[in-house]
Amino acid sequence: MPAAVIRYEASHLAMATEFALVAYGDDPQYLSAVGNEVFEEIDRLEAQLSKFNPKSELSVINRTAASGSICVEPKLFALLLKAVNHSESTGGSFDVTTGPLMKAWGFFRGKGRVPTNSEIAQVLRRVGYRHLRLNRADRTIRFDVEGLEIDLGAIGKGYAVDRAVDILRGYGITRALVSSGSSSLYALGTPPGARGWSISLRNPYDSERAANVICLRNCSLSTSGNYEKFFTVGAKTYAHILNPATGKPVEKMLAAIILAPCACDADALSTALYVMGVERSREYLGTHPDLMALFYLPGGKDQRFRRVLLHSARANAIGAFLPRTRDRTTGNRARAS
Amino acid sequence: MRDKVNDDVTRRNFIKTAASAAAIAALPGVAAAAENSGPSDAVRYGFIGTGTQGCTLLRFLTTIPAGRCLATCDIYPPNLNKGVDTIGSKPDTYEDYRQLLDRKDIDAVLVATPLYLHARMTIEGLEAGKHVFIEKSMFFKEEEAAQIRKVAAAHPKQILQVGLHRRSSVLYQVGMEMVRKGALGKVLLVQSRVTTHSSWRRPVADAKYERLINWRMYREYSGGLMAEMGSHFIDIANWVFESEPVSVIGTGGLDYWKDGREVHDNVHSIFDYKGGGRHHFHCMLFNGHHSNGVMIMGDQGTLDITDDRGIYFREPVAKISSGPAKENWWAGATVSKAASQKGVLIFPEKEAKDSGFVDRELRYAKQWLASMGIYQPEEPFDPYWGELVNFFASIREGKPVVAPLEVGVADAMAVINANRAIDEVQKPSRSKKTT
Repeated sequence: MPAAVIRYEASHLAMATEFALVAYGDDPQYLSAVGNEVFEEIDRLEAQLSKFNPKSELSVINRTAASGSICVEPKLFALLLKAVNHSESTGGSFDVTTGPLMKAWGFFRGKGRVPTNSEIAQVLRRVGYRHLRLNRADRTIRFDVEGLEIDLGAIGKGYAVDRAVDILRGYGITRALVSSGSSSLYALGTPPGARGWSISLRNPYDSERAANVICLRNCSLSTSGNYEKFFTVGAKTYAHILNPATGKPVEKMLAAIILAPCACDADALSTALYVMGVERSREYLGTHPDLMALFYLPGGKDQRFRRVLLHSARANAIGAFLPRTRDRTTGNRARAS
Repeated sequence: MRDKVNDDVTRRNFIKTAASAAAIAALPGVAAAAENSGPSDAVRYGFIGTGTQGCTLLRFLTTIPAGRCLATCDIYPPNLNKGVDTIGSKPDTYEDYRQLLDRKDIDAVLVATPLYLHARMTIEGLEAGKHVFIEKSMFFKEEEAAQIRKVAAAHPKQILQVGLHRRSSVLYQVGMEMVRKGALGKVLLVQSRVTTHSSWRRPVADAKYERLINWRMYREYSGGLMAEMGSHFIDIANWVFESEPVSVIGTGGLDYWKDGREVHDNVHSIFDYKGGGRHHFHCMLFNGHHSNGVMIMGDQGTLDITDDRGIYFREPVAKISSGPAKENWWAGATVSKAASQKGVLIFPEKEAKDSGFVDRELRYAKQWLASMGIYQPEEPFDPYWGELVNFFASIREGKPVVAPLEVGVADAMAVINANRAIDEVQKPSRSKKTT
């Protein structure tokens, strides 16, 4: 007699959001124990990567790397290398050193403010991935400018999702979904009897409604959107995703959704492509395989929006079954769904 | 028998807003009481023991037309005067409670005397044909349980209510509903405390009245903090676990207020219940940081009631089920969640069973206003007021007694056992010198 299918679902608060995990197996005790391992690892990663925790490895780096080289834990070092890679390949649209900019705009304290141009110019002087000196030979990091600060907010949650998936695979789990606050998720295998994991992409104007539904198998998805963190001054709304080149919030973009083989890349690229906009992203996808990008762009009045879907080479192999979009250009379905 | 817990409550007006007045009117018993409150059928009562706690109750009684105070009694003249002054209805006064009990025109007595007198006055009140409201804890000595039970059984038509006023708190009732409906999952721990920085003394003008005024300090009359403070929360735990404790361990001492008193000022008890539930209670008089309150903790959530404010915290637990589910997940920009849960305010208002659209919307509106710090969820009435209204409604309309005999017996017995556990210390494991 085949063993019964058991479904395990749990959630865990970490990295200022809620991680969710669903896993299928045949032994509830085993699944619970694996779930504990996953969440303990996520807690360890938070303790290492948090910029809010003064004793985290990242905080130590931020405090001391300007005054001398500092040795970095191998996996964090690999993550930093990856971050710099993404910065280079996106022309600086992704940048882990924009923390001081976020601070100038008041996004960390939750009280937004519009800084002056000279203030921004001043802050930009101590921002930039080029100031990170990573030495592979001795696995050290050094900042070549005072006041530099690494913030992994745009890559860390995806990284944590990947590490969670590594643990699940290591324990022989073949059907699972990991989500970090809905912004980065990975679909491992499929749920029993299904083609993939069904994911509703939220409407940028309405958290209760889906703009698209997509099906994933062995694939990750990340979203950067303007609708969770923002502030308004007068009639103008400022969202939290800043263009590292200008030091100002990106405009005319509602959300960028990236499908990629791993969540770390999807997380970083959702921010980068959000900043780059559709045309530069099209170029990017022309030279980087295994990616899909879906953009929600403002579509005039009445909370309409346009969808633009881009594929890179081999995109059909990444395990995403495409949204049945009724109208990719006018966004009519956004109102009807 | 005033205590810090009671002080907090009495300072509040029992009707704060028009909204809570409306909530009171919505309660069936209350509406009935207000309508039928002609003096002709009001319960005629006498009040024994008009000290601090007695006057607390009398103040509430002045607003309850379902009862009419004909007589008061206290052996200490200043308190007797204070009682008369408080009730304001020119009652006859007595120094000897037996004379009050002899009055045929009195239907009920309310007793708020020192603990050691509770059993005697309850028994004699019942024997005199009166309905009896007795302050907690219900009795002082173990053997008094059987005596009270026997007399109560011989007078089945008379109401006997114990002054465990949290039973009349709508907030606690809502909390208990959460327990019963499984909102907290399997409840295995109640943690409660009364903490205050207070000598717990009352001023005594003439030293000869010390033991009379400060009876709570002396073991001849008092069960100390466990009886005066602990009994409230012991009853809450009994209510949660729907049983009485099977055993208790404890420790305590007179650690701070070494002023001639005999009772402890720092007590700790752990009560065990059948089926694995436990209740930690502690009370101290040298630090008020933790205030008063109780946490009811289950495997799916915690209800934290502190100073009349209830907050629910969900326990993030894994859900395990058989067979595949319809998987539909959401993706969007990061949804922020604080690392520590803020908890959800519990509204001390009962929802009508088939609440309609307006009620539901009103509730959402209140939730929203509360989240903005604009609306303060509060009890619709003071639990003291509620318990007294209920006492008269039990007498006049046969309403169920809110804290009846066995609730009081279980509570008082647990107090006695807890004090015994503290005094007859088991064999503690003592630390040994390791060098």
